[in-house]
Amino acid sequence: MKRFRASLLIAPVAALIFVFVILPYVTVLIMSFRATADGQPYGQGFSVEGYQQFFSQPYYALSLPSSLALGMATTLVCLILGYPIALHIATASRKWRGLLYGIVLSPLLVGIVVRSYGWTILLGNSGVINATLRNLGLIDRPLPLMYNNFGVVLALAHVFLPFMVLPLLSSLQSIDPAIAQAARSLGARRFTIFRRVTFPVSMPGVQAGCILVFVLAISSYVTPSLVGGMRVKTTTLLVIDALIDQYQWPFGSAMALILAVSAGLVVLIFARLTRMKWT
Amino acid sequence: MRIATPLLAVFRTLVYVFLLAPILVVVLASLNAGNFLTFPPQGLSLRWFWTFLNNDIFLNAIAYSATLAACATAVSLVLGTMASLYFTRHAGKHAEAVRIGVLLPLILPEILTAIALLFFFYEIGVGTEHKIALFTGHVLMTLPFIFLNVNTSLQGRDDSIELAARTLGASRYTAFRRVTLPLIAPGLSTGAVFAFIISFDTFGISFILKGTGSAPLPIQLFDYLRFNFTPEAAAVSTVSILMTLVLVVAADLLFGRRD
Amino acid sequence: MTEVSLRSLQKLYGKTAALKAISLDVTHGEFVSLLGPSGCGKSTTLKCIAGFEDITDGRICFDNKDISRKLPEDRDIGMVFQSYALFPHMTVTQNLAFGLEMRRVPKADIARRVASAMEMVQLTPYADRYPKALSGGQQQRVALARALVIEPAILLLDEPLANLDAKLRDEMRGFIRDLQKRVGITTIYVTHDQNEAMTMSDRVVVMFDGEIAQAAAPEDVYNRPASERVARFVGNANILDLPVAGADAQGTTVTLPGGTPLHIAPCAAPARAGAPDRLRVMARPEQITLTGPGLGQLPGRIEKRYFSGGHVEYTVATECGALFVTGPTTQHVSEGDTVGLSFDPARLWPLPDPAPERAQ
Repeated sequence: MKRFRASLLIAPVAALIFVFVILPYVTVLIMSFRATADGQPYGQGFSVEGYQQFFSQPYYALSLPSSLALGMATTLVCLILGYPIALHIATASRKWRGLLYGIVLSPLLVGIVVRSYGWTILLGNSGVINATLRNLGLIDRPLPLMYNNFGVVLALAHVFLPFMVLPLLSSLQSIDPAIAQAARSLGARRFTIFRRVTFPVSMPGVQAGCILVFVLAISSYVTPSLVGGMRVKTTTLLVIDALIDQYQWPFGSAMALILAVSAGLVVLIFARLTRMKWT
Repeated sequence: MRIATPLLAVFRTLVYVFLLAPILVVVLASLNAGNFLTFPPQGLSLRWFWTFLNNDIFLNAIAYSATLAACATAVSLVLGTMASLYFTRHAGKHAEAVRIGVLLPLILPEILTAIALLFFFYEIGVGTEHKIALFTGHVLMTLPFIFLNVNTSLQGRDDSIELAARTLGASRYTAFRRVTLPLIAPGLSTGAVFAFIISFDTFGISFILKGTGSAPLPIQLFDYLRFNFTPEAAAVSTVSILMTLVLVVAADLLFGRRD
Repeated sequence: MTEVSLRSLQKLYGKTAALKAISLDVTHGEFVSLLGPSGCGKSTTLKCIAGFEDITDGRICFDNKDISRKLPEDRDIGMVFQSYALFPHMTVTQNLAFGLEMRRVPKADIARRVASAMEMVQLTPYADRYPKALSGGQQQRVALARALVIEPAILLLDEPLANLDAKLRDEMRGFIRDLQKRVGITTIYVTHDQNEAMTMSDRVVVMFDGEIAQAAAPEDVYNRPASERVARFVGNANILDLPVAGADAQGTTVTLPGGTPLHIAPCAAPARAGAPDRLRVMARPEQITLTGPGLGQLPGRIEKRYFSGGHVEYTVATECGALFVTGPTTQHVSEGDTVGLSFDPARLWPLPDPAPERAQ
């Protein structure tokens, strides 16, 4: 009786997730094997045309490795930028912690469109950075900051940095300060403590942050299309193209699934390489 | 170490600047008096805010987004709190499965979830015209934020507080209303603010499921930005940043400092 | 005042039995402690009485009325939790008033009763404080007052002193005991601390593995434990395994190493099946006296000596194994000294065969 009453609490959400997440993903899987048709999203019967189409055309097939590379680059930049920040916040005094925390969270509170837009203002040919450099007489022609992979990675790193810092922070904060003191009492210097104690103990946070940022980065749409313009074609952009503009649902679904499976493999390999024996 | 420490401090400062720069730049750009987004700005003015205030498309989009966010948050608040109560008190050995299940919309790529919902609503013959698909998508996107925030405030709680209320004669419902609810109110309000902002700003779900007719603000802004470079978009963005800020500060003033 | 009786109370978690059909009667105004190591079922028993756990089998009666199926809020109990479980968002006054509001007591009566309860626990100056602004001892008293102000049928206390420091704990021990006597409420107190159980209770119920091992007055549990396990759990116990020289109606005669006979009075402990050739005897440390070498009934050598303020603790090596003895601080004995140990046969307690229970 008690158990039944308790299960009523979870029933609505369980139903919601099953009907509107699990079932729709199954629908995508089925859709990717449907036949294509002209003038309609999809035709009668089943086929593997969608998958063939992707792998047979270099324009599509080559977008996959470059998307994955873009995701990895973004992840790496986030890790390099995020770790010192997380360390800083974890060890900051109470007074500062709130403010720093606010700065890190601030991008989350501003829509992704607005943030990407901010980057176009900064990176454009007549944008803040180029205009400043030109006024200072440092350059004659604008630097190519936007409409390329550099700009996209930079903007993506900004957009997803909070997702790196938050897990890092939670794993760093869960470290008992006595551990570092213990290492110190055993004669370790500060950098050694970081290398031998702090960093290894924060590995779960590194892992979580990297996976999160990677998945978010390769599936992002707004930033590559605004900051990358027409020059950077990620698989996600092509998926939306196929689905929304060209109305090719089986092809788009196949592409989305190929991207998801590839990303899953990358994540799996990453988790394997960074596996921790003590957790 | 002696050299590394100041270097690290400089690096950290640069990262903080990096985090704030795009947002500040948008706000500054909205005050530009010129016709285009040029730098340095051609004088300060509020003219683009006036342009925005006379532009029904953006005003409608803001109203539409706010309504959608409010409705989605209300539904998520009830469902997410129930799920959180189950998770923290009754899930037992299934806790991890429940957690992952509720967080699925957050873990899965938003754009893929949006596509999945699009197909699903077409398959069941509803499509995107009635905005049900859009609304469902927004509930899904906001649910994890309520769940996570309420979890935090429930997990910090001593379970025996509610039991104590029961021994004093309060029914299950009264104990929840008089004791547990006030205690988790900060978590609920933080969760609600988060959920509202997420819904207000979310792109993928809205982009794929918006159907025809009025569209949420991020979509309207995105469409505009693809072809226009006037500071009006910056003014719209600034207004949306200010709305978020007001919401966060209000929630903090109302619920933040107690306990 | 209410009488509580547990009848064959059984609680299963899946297949494991947390409570194996325990029965216990608590009379009007009695203070009973449930004492045992963690996992012995004492807290489960309390939760069953409070109604937080459904019982698998058996009955719980208040004044012979079965309340086993009632909801916690309908049982008319006052409970003090280990964490105190004060409502952090309510002041002391609001905390105390909560139970009365639930009972729809008129406002004026609530104010009066809260004020007098506050007086009773000496918290009147703190009426408008929030729990966070109170010390541990004060929170404890609020919890007690909140449980008592509703004038419940019975009072349940779940390790209420566990979170207090040693000095405060001694103080609160007396405070709770006095208050309980004054109010005269039937009280069940759960603790793992034998000192608390001894000093506060009318009766101590020792529990192991979901069963009641002994339910008796504190003196009886200490001096006449029902089993070796009880003897060892409640205070320090020396167990001597001695050969039996003879037995009659006046008791049993056992022989110490060295040949000195000791006559042990008969007891309620079940006699051994068959011809008893050995008897296990319990002697508390303070029941053995240290005397000079060659005196007493058993020779020994001081191995360890610990000064502990009021008395001195010794570990004495003897032919019966190492014995734990306490003596007055006026006695001058050093480590390595040869001594004699003297036993008072009237205070030795024969233990039942340990075979049925696994001796620890």
